[in-house]
Amino acid sequence: MGRLEEALASYLTRHFGHAVRVESLDRIPVGASRETYRFVMRADREAELTARRMILRLDPPTSLIETDRRTEYAAIRAFHGSDVPVPELLLIEEDPEALGASFIVMQEIVGGEAAPYRLIEPPYRANLETTGQHKWSILGSIAKTDPAACGLDRVLPPVAAEDCWRQELQRWETMLDADELEPQPIQRAAIRWMKRNPPPPAQRISVVHGDYRTGNLLVSDTGAVIGVLDWEMAHLGDPLEDLAWSINRVWCFRKDERRGGMLPKDEAIAIWEKSSGLAVDADALRWWELLACLKGQAIWISATKEYQTGATHDPLMALAGWMQVNSQDRATLELMGRLSHGIST
Amino acid sequence: MKPDVSVYFRELVRALREDFAPKLPTAFEQGAALRLAMLSQAASEEFDRAAARRLEENEAMRRLFERASSIVKTPDLLTRLQTVGCLREDSIHVSALDRVNQTLRDLLIELHAHVETLAGDDARALEADIWFEFSASTARRALSIGRF
Repeated sequence: MGRLEEALASYLTRHFGHAVRVESLDRIPVGASRETYRFVMRADREAELTARRMILRLDPPTSLIETDRRTEYAAIRAFHGSDVPVPELLLIEEDPEALGASFIVMQEIVGGEAAPYRLIEPPYRANLETTGQHKWSILGSIAKTDPAACGLDRVLPPVAAEDCWRQELQRWETMLDADELEPQPIQRAAIRWMKRNPPPPAQRISVVHGDYRTGNLLVSDTGAVIGVLDWEMAHLGDPLEDLAWSINRVWCFRKDERRGGMLPKDEAIAIWEKSSGLAVDADALRWWELLACLKGQAIWISATKEYQTGATHDPLMALAGWMQVNSQDRATLELMGRLSHGIST
Repeated sequence: MKPDVSVYFRELVRALREDFAPKLPTAFEQGAALRLAMLSQAASEEFDRAAARRLEENEAMRRLFERASSIVKTPDLLTRLQTVGCLREDSIHVSALDRVNQTLRDLLIELHAHVETLAGDDARALEADIWFEFSASTARRALSIGRF
């Protein structure tokens, strides 16, 4: 038994007040902001023997994004039992004493695949349109959820409808300022444009997942979305922010027009509109798509810095720099009508 | 230097994908090996073009600065356009080219922001050329592992 298995079993035994065994602990390649492990939890209690497949989400020394585990815990709890599929939570521990870092334990949603490069291959490939229907319909459900009704208005910081854009632009520009290792003329031009041409106030204040993309969904082999994961960037804001991030060009896993590797942009938007009950203002969405480009670029550049400075050895962080940064710049140029297609690549 | 560096990288990518990744015990380790293969593929592409694309980009920016000298009226910016525009690479080592590239790109950001505030057809034409150079720079930097 490894050290982490032992420490987790010891913690769970203390937490539940009876013997708990941890078996088959295995790190899985999902989630860029937490170390994620799958394990089997066996509880021996009198005549009752139970075995449950669980997930451990452990704060890492470095990550793509600095996030708040309590936000993730609250958001998952708020949506549990709704038509937004989320895992069942077991516990949150913020004291690093037990495992060396804070962590969350939740039920594993069995039978789901999240890796985009697997989803574009059989058996998932044949059902990607169905998956797309589910994906943007669920995102619409998140957008129409009343934050007060699900209790998240008491957890997530409030924001006025007219301030949503300013808050997000400031957040990601600040990260770019702090972490860029080389000048970013395309993003700087986009930032100036966004400041000169702000979007209208949000139609409503919604729960924004913050990282709603194919890699954060669990998909069954029949194409159904059976889990929405990685809620640590959840906040209150303009629901167009999530829609724009979900259709970001860098998530075109099949290197074509299908967003998230699933559906053309217009179809994805139409499904979201029907589900959310909100109408999309094309100019406002374009602004939020540009914000999504800036947000992506800030995240990729921040990850690049972690790798460059030796803070991490995770090749995912280097890939963020080499695979995403240039694509994100090209996506920005496309949205601004400045991508010259005549230039060979 | 033989075998060619490109041949070495090709073999490294193949070995990581076909020999090493499938034999690793966990999905996490397999994923890490496949990511290293992708990075090696990208490094192979960058190795051959590294100096060429930097030289081309630096020269393109210097041409923009030269053109801007007849449009920009702000003395301080005009002086720096002329000074930085004369900056030449003292070596074709990639690190030396990068140092010049960063200086030029910093000034290009400043020039672009300034030109946006100017009226007139000349300013609009220069602005369009700056955007064209941005697009060209992403074409030069594109890697096969990129999704767009």
